[in-house]
Amino acid sequence: MGPKQANLLQGTLDLLILKALGAGELHGLGVSRRIEQMTQGTFLVKPGSLFPALHRMEEAGWLSSVWGESENNRRAKYYRLTRAGKSQLEVETEQWATVALAMANALKAT
Amino acid sequence: MKLWIRVRSVLRNLFQKQHVEKQLDDEVRAYADMIADERVAAGMSASEARRTALADLGGAEQVKQAVRDRRAGAGMEILWQDARYGLRQLARNPGFTVTVVLTLALSIGANTAIFSIVNALMLKSLPYAHPERMGTIYTRIRGPIASDERHHVNGEQWELLRDHVPALISAVSGIRPSGVNLETRSHAQYVRAGRISEHYLDVLAIHPLLGRNFTKAEDLPHGTKTAILSYGLWHSTFGSNPNILGKAILLKGEPYTVIGVLPEGLTIPLSADVYTALQPSRDGEGAGTNFEAITRLRDGATWQEADAQINRAWSLRTNRYELEDNPGAQVSYYSVPLQKGETATLRPQALALMLAAGFILLIACANLAGLTLVQVLRRTPEIATRLALGASRWHIQKQLWIENLLLALLGGMVGVATGFLALRGLIALLPEHFLPVADVSLDGGVLAFTFLISLLTSVLFGMLPTLTTRRLDLRSAIGSRMTTGSDHLRLRQALIAGEVALTVVLLAAAGLLIRTLIHLQTLPPGFNPNGVMTATASLDDARYHDAAAFRKLLSESTAAMRQIPGVEQAAVGLSLPYERSLIMGGISISDGKEAGQKAMADEVYVTPDYFAALQIPVLAGRSFTDEDGPGTQRVTIVNREFARKFFHNANPVGRHIFEDMLIVGVVEDVAMAPGIDPIAPLTNESTMYVPATQMESSQISVVHVWFQPSWIVRTSGPVEGLTAQMQHALASVDPNLPFSGFYSMKDLLAKTLATQRVEVALLGAMAALALILSAVGIFALVANIVAQKTREIGIRMALGSTARQAMVHVGATGAWSAVVGLALGLVLCAGALRAMRSVLYGTSVYDSRTILAVVLMLATVTVIAAIAPTLRISRIDPAQTLREE
Repeated sequence: MGPKQANLLQGTLDLLILKALGAGELHGLGVSRRIEQMTQGTFLVKPGSLFPALHRMEEAGWLSSVWGESENNRRAKYYRLTRAGKSQLEVETEQWATVALAMANALKAT
Repeated sequence: MKLWIRVRSVLRNLFQKQHVEKQLDDEVRAYADMIADERVAAGMSASEARRTALADLGGAEQVKQAVRDRRAGAGMEILWQDARYGLRQLARNPGFTVTVVLTLALSIGANTAIFSIVNALMLKSLPYAHPERMGTIYTRIRGPIASDERHHVNGEQWELLRDHVPALISAVSGIRPSGVNLETRSHAQYVRAGRISEHYLDVLAIHPLLGRNFTKAEDLPHGTKTAILSYGLWHSTFGSNPNILGKAILLKGEPYTVIGVLPEGLTIPLSADVYTALQPSRDGEGAGTNFEAITRLRDGATWQEADAQINRAWSLRTNRYELEDNPGAQVSYYSVPLQKGETATLRPQALALMLAAGFILLIACANLAGLTLVQVLRRTPEIATRLALGASRWHIQKQLWIENLLLALLGGMVGVATGFLALRGLIALLPEHFLPVADVSLDGGVLAFTFLISLLTSVLFGMLPTLTTRRLDLRSAIGSRMTTGSDHLRLRQALIAGEVALTVVLLAAAGLLIRTLIHLQTLPPGFNPNGVMTATASLDDARYHDAAAFRKLLSESTAAMRQIPGVEQAAVGLSLPYERSLIMGGISISDGKEAGQKAMADEVYVTPDYFAALQIPVLAGRSFTDEDGPGTQRVTIVNREFARKFFHNANPVGRHIFEDMLIVGVVEDVAMAPGIDPIAPLTNESTMYVPATQMESSQISVVHVWFQPSWIVRTSGPVEGLTAQMQHALASVDPNLPFSGFYSMKDLLAKTLATQRVEVALLGAMAALALILSAVGIFALVANIVAQKTREIGIRMALGSTARQAMVHVGATGAWSAVVGLALGLVLCAGALRAMRSVLYGTSVYDSRTILAVVLMLATVTVIAAIAPTLRISRIDPAQTLREE
């Protein structure tokens, strides 16, 4: 594992994908790039994790997909948040904030 | 909403698989292409860009598989794949598959059929509203003679139950339906009549289709004569006349007003064509226990309250028959569910049959375990290859379980069909009104049971083989062509021994029942049953309450029958051999050293030629003659058992009973259905015969309520149209008196022994099935050994062994397991068959002839099953076998 990578916590990937798609629709590579950019390169999401997660979340009804043209004229599958996905993003963001705060406090109190 | 999305995904993944796969492929490829495009744009060569992009992807196929594994319905799809693979495996071995499915079909079918009956008798609710609130009363006696069973009740008990047990709605009925004459304008017919008290239909929660139930006034002694018609009689005889209410019908020679019609398709404990009010009292019929009680708990009351009230009411009786001859006995009464009360006598038989059916299932499973074990061993190389290629052991196990489950379900389905047919056959075999339930059906409960035992069998027969794959050693399994571990052989031998042991128990049980039936059917009847034709008519009729009319009918009708060409004798008797007869209690012996003693015996009125017609030998004294009439000395003839029991074998001719009744003769005992002490289906009960001419009017009207007398003719040979001529002879005396039917003595014997015949047929069929299954098991074992050891046998024969020696060597493997099983089975018999003691007559539980027959039968079948497959050995050519290596 390279110095730039950190282990993705269970459930973190879903939240990152939801967040990445919060700004608008993206294709698979786009999601991966956006997460890398958002986390300043801390998380690199590999296709072997990304695609199963995207498909699972689509089946869960959080994402919907359409086929479209990429910037360089490739046919690509674009994902966007559904209404359920948006509320899921809110819920998970809130949860994460709670967990993060609790963890930070726990680690501070030596 | 979420569920719907998920279901839609599963359906899409399963049924639009190609489309979904194509999209996944496109998506993953687009990902790699886009990365490659970027790298080309950045100046990398096209091929290098493509190579690194694919490397970054981490393998397109792996990514797709990762997606597939996470997909909705992935587990189901894998299951479906395994099932299809399993089906292909089964189709590839049709011999194996057919054997397994047939074995399962027979064993599951047997279980389904028997369970349907158990279900109808014990599990299904009675077809009435709130069956849990319906009951009947058991009497528990603790003391020198203990018992705990349903008693019939007498008039006093009924009145107390009706008046002093407010927790219950109670009703009584006659014990069994009787035959009566129904005259319509066109003809007279013999119908079954049931006598029921008021509230009888209320207890059953039956509302008449037309009209109403009997009222209290109608149920009082000498109340108005009213009748309720069954739907069937209303439909067939009265053309479903909607205006029948209030009309009079001519029943028992008197007008009865129809007050109700019952709905269609009813089940009533006392099943009959027409119902009249019982009109019970403490006198006459009600002086003895001649009624059957049923109860329903009133709203708000509890069974505890009801039982307390019954005990209080019935303990204060003046005449407690339960305490007679049982000093110091403690008597208590309690309610039991009506279903239990109605089916109590059939329950042990049904459960025993269920047990036998369970044995069949175990035997089948042992066979199938052996077969599937061979099948798995044969597939060891394939399984080893799959393991070597990375399949997990769990996956292999799952595959085997799925195949077993497929087999079991397939067998279960065929089993339901087999069970349905078997059940139809079984019910056709049972006498009419044998089961106290309306119908026995394959309902949801039965199907659920069949499904469960299918699952159970797959676990039972699948467990062994799948366990063996857990110990599979990869290297040796791939290397060797065929594995025939001796521990596997041992295991199969043990299975065969086990099934043979169970077969022995079933065979012995069936054998004992057959011996019982033979014993009963070949009991010395005490008369000559051949060449006799009998017919029954109802004299529970206003025209024959008078003794003179009764005497005239008997003498004129028998005289008319004697005129039929070919008829040698004609007589009438209240009951016949093989039948139940009237029981007379309180017979007092009036003189000699037994004077003052009381006796109980069957009583049969007969015309003078009764003994001659049935050829019952007169052992001492004389037979009745025409001189014995209403105005002469009252006489009786007793049977040998009566003389033995009450006169210590001394000749009782010349002695008196009932003060002035002279014993004029002694006749041979005849086999009859027991009435006094039901120790066996056929017994010799002490019996007194009285001349029909000396019956008094009051006696006649009472006994004919319960019994329908029989006309008997003895012919010298077959007589053309005998029954029509008998009916004609009777009609010449009374054109409105129908016979209910005509029976030979053989018919009567068969009717009395119906239960025994059904038992023999059922258990015999199951024992035969077990024997066939065991034979198949032994055959399969030896056949497999022959197939597996062909090479070894070839070498032996090349080294000088003869084919015969080789055959014995191989066949012995099967024979030994049978011998061990036989020994084990005999030990089991010693314990298990003792439970049968109560249904065996004329044979003991340890009957040497039965055991010998079982051993011989099993030995024969074993020898055939073990030798048949070894016949292939004689065709083995050692040279060719060795060359094949």
